[in-house]
Amino acid sequence: MNKSTIAALAATLAAAASVGTALAETKVGLLLPKSGVYAALGDEIDQGFVLALEEAGMSDEIEIVREDTEVKPPVGLAKARKLVLQDEVDVIVGVVSSAVLGAMRDFVDGAEVPLIVANAGNVAATGADCSPYIVRVSFSNAQINRPMGTWMAEQGVEKVYTLAPDYAAGRQMIEAFTASFTAAGGEVVGSAFTPFGKTQDFGPYLAKARAASPDAVYVFYAGGEAISFVKQYDSFGLKENIPLYGSGFLTSPLYVEAQGSAATGVFGALHYVPTLDTPENEAFVETFRAKHERQPSEYAVQGYDAARVLLEAIGSGAEDRRSLAEALPKGSYTGPRGPLEIDPATNNVVQNIYVYETVAEGEGLTQRIVASVPAVRDEANGCAL
Amino acid sequence: MFEQTVPKTLCVAAVASGLALYAIFGGYFAREIAIEIALLAMLAVSLDVIAGYGGMVSLCHGAIYGVGAYGFGAMTALGGHPASLSALVAVALAAAFGLMVGALTANTAGIFFIMATLAFGQMAYTLVFESRALGGDDGLAGIERFDASSVGIDLGDSLQFTLLVIAAMVLAYALCAQLLRASFGRTLVGIGANEERMRALGLTTWRHKALAFSFSAAVAGAAGVLAAQHTQYISPDYLVWTVSGEALVVVILGGLGTLAGPLLGAVVLVGLKHLVGGWTDHWHLFVGLFLIGAVMAGGRGLYGQLEHVLAGRRARREEGR
Amino acid sequence: MSGIDFWLTQLLNAMQLSMLLFLLSIGLTIIFGLMHFVNLAHGALYMLGAYVGVSTAGAFDNYWLALLGAPLAVMLVGIVLYALIIRRMRRAGPMNQVLVTFGLIFVLVDLVRLVWGDIALGMEGPASLEGTLEVLGVRYPAYRLFVIGVGLGVLAVLALVLARTELGAMIRAGVENDAMAACLGIDVERLFFVVFCVGCALAGLAGAIAAPVFSATPSMATDILIPTLIVVVIGGLGSLAGAFAGSLIVGFIQTFGAVVLPGLASILVYVLLALVLVARPEGLLPARR
Repeated sequence: MNKSTIAALAATLAAAASVGTALAETKVGLLLPKSGVYAALGDEIDQGFVLALEEAGMSDEIEIVREDTEVKPPVGLAKARKLVLQDEVDVIVGVVSSAVLGAMRDFVDGAEVPLIVANAGNVAATGADCSPYIVRVSFSNAQINRPMGTWMAEQGVEKVYTLAPDYAAGRQMIEAFTASFTAAGGEVVGSAFTPFGKTQDFGPYLAKARAASPDAVYVFYAGGEAISFVKQYDSFGLKENIPLYGSGFLTSPLYVEAQGSAATGVFGALHYVPTLDTPENEAFVETFRAKHERQPSEYAVQGYDAARVLLEAIGSGAEDRRSLAEALPKGSYTGPRGPLEIDPATNNVVQNIYVYETVAEGEGLTQRIVASVPAVRDEANGCAL
Repeated sequence: MFEQTVPKTLCVAAVASGLALYAIFGGYFAREIAIEIALLAMLAVSLDVIAGYGGMVSLCHGAIYGVGAYGFGAMTALGGHPASLSALVAVALAAAFGLMVGALTANTAGIFFIMATLAFGQMAYTLVFESRALGGDDGLAGIERFDASSVGIDLGDSLQFTLLVIAAMVLAYALCAQLLRASFGRTLVGIGANEERMRALGLTTWRHKALAFSFSAAVAGAAGVLAAQHTQYISPDYLVWTVSGEALVVVILGGLGTLAGPLLGAVVLVGLKHLVGGWTDHWHLFVGLFLIGAVMAGGRGLYGQLEHVLAGRRARREEGR
Repeated sequence: MSGIDFWLTQLLNAMQLSMLLFLLSIGLTIIFGLMHFVNLAHGALYMLGAYVGVSTAGAFDNYWLALLGAPLAVMLVGIVLYALIIRRMRRAGPMNQVLVTFGLIFVLVDLVRLVWGDIALGMEGPASLEGTLEVLGVRYPAYRLFVIGVGLGVLAVLALVLARTELGAMIRAGVENDAMAACLGIDVERLFFVVFCVGCALAGLAGAIAAPVFSATPSMATDILIPTLIVVVIGGLGSLAGAFAGSLIVGFIQTFGAVVLPGLASILVYVLLALVLVARPEGLLPARR
């Protein structure tokens, strides 16, 4: 062939190659617990994340590398290092445990790798320990509980007894509630912290709560402890005179069925409830149910939103670590949980908080929303971004 | 009696060089695994000194490891002291804790001794967990590594740090071997074999046991210091009793009372965990089956079985002469 | 709520916790006292009992069937374990027994996770025991009173068996000196087998009893292990009275410690354990002096 054909061919090939690199995949490191106490949460977040990718038809353009944190900080850190230094991912998504997040924080910040936190609620992560590379789409421990304090005071509740497990998250949740509740005029007549993970029998604490004669009891418990607590609260017959309130993890859709009738009449606050009556949520619930044959929980939505925020950043043209880190905090859209945006002052999510009551419906349980607190935003709390 | 035999030396050399080669050529995550193995081996060797030779099976060595880690973390991250001083203080703290536990438990034996050490380990864990000053379960971050720049080594580089940890493991083994060869070690073995007899010979056994425990704790504490430097973040998880359980499993798997066995045990257990973990989330199942199988097959541990076979062959050869 | 009511409630709470610990520790202490076998997997059998209970109650919508099914199922598992592992490991020395049963914990926990998943499961108690009953002027959950009843019932039955039956006499002889017992013509192997199976059944029963109060999670296997071991060591190995006394002590300390000294509650039991071990290493009421 002659020179001009060769030149044309060469040009076409070069053009094709550059198009190829523009369509290069984004590599995501999905860092979640796949064994240990939080394995179920890890699975939910994973499922939500994958669902969002499938929905957007982007499953082929996003390469996922999965690693198990085992809910152990040193393991989580080692896996994070592997994802960044060996697998060379562009962004890390996940982290259920705040302790694992604490272990990884300095590394992620130093290596300048964007991290989308899909669960860990430690207040300092978007407070004193915030980083331009860490964006949280789930919640902060304070964010969930503050609105409940104000709301309960507005409902006329005057005296409250609080209970929570004795570890950082438990303390942060109760602190946030107590601050807003007392600021709104309420009184916390007593509080107790139960040994974390070791308390299965809440009997002694329930008796103490009863003895303090509060108008209501406010607690934070999650997972197996939540199931035990709610059932035992009911078995002591306390609900009749002393209604039970808590941050919504107490009666999370993920395990409320295990609590049975003991959960009816319990009020909680969460950033997502599957019965939210919006077109975006209805579509999401339908797709999730079709694939997994059960209601989605807030953990599934956290995974889903993490993917959506990432897709938005990619859609705006970001493809490497630096540009992704810049683009992620600009994410904002309306998804299953309502309007969602990232606060540039803290890189924490700004979202609605829904107060709901667990009620019986047919054979099972469902969530009845009684109040909606819009656009709850955390204070900077020492973050200087 | 303890004797540094050729198989033992070969075993240590093989493990150390194997880990080093793996770290050099295996890529990033290989170094993480090598460090995990080396630290666990160091902890297990320290445990074998008192468990395998002194008959004192401790279930608090995980807590001692954690005490070393927290001692170092508190001194550097909270106190701002230099790494070398902090390391010395941390090891001393671990040794003191070991001395106390060893002295208090000197009159117990068997399952009671194990439970007593467990109790002390759990007390340490609870104290650390409940302590807000040490960060509670949020952990302690911002821990530094040693500054070896004066000798041209950059410990911030993962490969150099890995090699340091492997060297520390070999050093720990050498120290323990030396102790066991010396008269202190031989007395310890005597106590492990028959404490009454040693007492009849006029020895104040409890003091000896406490000192041995203290030495073992110092080595375990040193491993903890390195662990803290590795992740540069620590949490109370380091002191949970299952860490002690894992150390004991590694010792028994490798061979109780062989000193070199625990190194092999660490390689096998960690290697298996990662290998199987790569295939399935339910790797505990396979590791458990392997443990059961390994015990029912021999009972002397992997290295112990090897030594036994070699000794048998040597005996047969000598007989044949 | 008046002062007396409060303390009475806590007393009942302590009794309930003690009885649950008793059901678990009696199996472990007799196995250890008689067979000298360190069975760390006892907690895993408890966990298995809870899960079997959950499934049985769910499948047949009947709590009492679960209460029967769980001990039976765990006993069957115990028979298999005995035949395959325990029998051979019995004389293998405590270190190997620790290793084998540690491995067994891994296996059982992951099997449970495979079959039942990772999410915590709940179980409804029987309708007849729902709600509260009035006891000495205090409203207390009927189900918890049932737990206390079961614990005391099992104590009574075991005490009777040990004191009045031939089997009981053989067990007591075996605990005191198994070599001598064998010389006297007692089939010690079969005795061990029977005792092991009964111990497993009791662990399964404890699991099924606990499931409606707590929830069934894979971490049950290790969570309950330490309190049970503490009970056995404080109470003394191999004796019914020791297990009962140890359970009461630990149950009461945990309950009243939580009430009176909340910050120190978690550490109190360990301090007590350390004290007992340093002062009276064989425990308070051991079978063998």
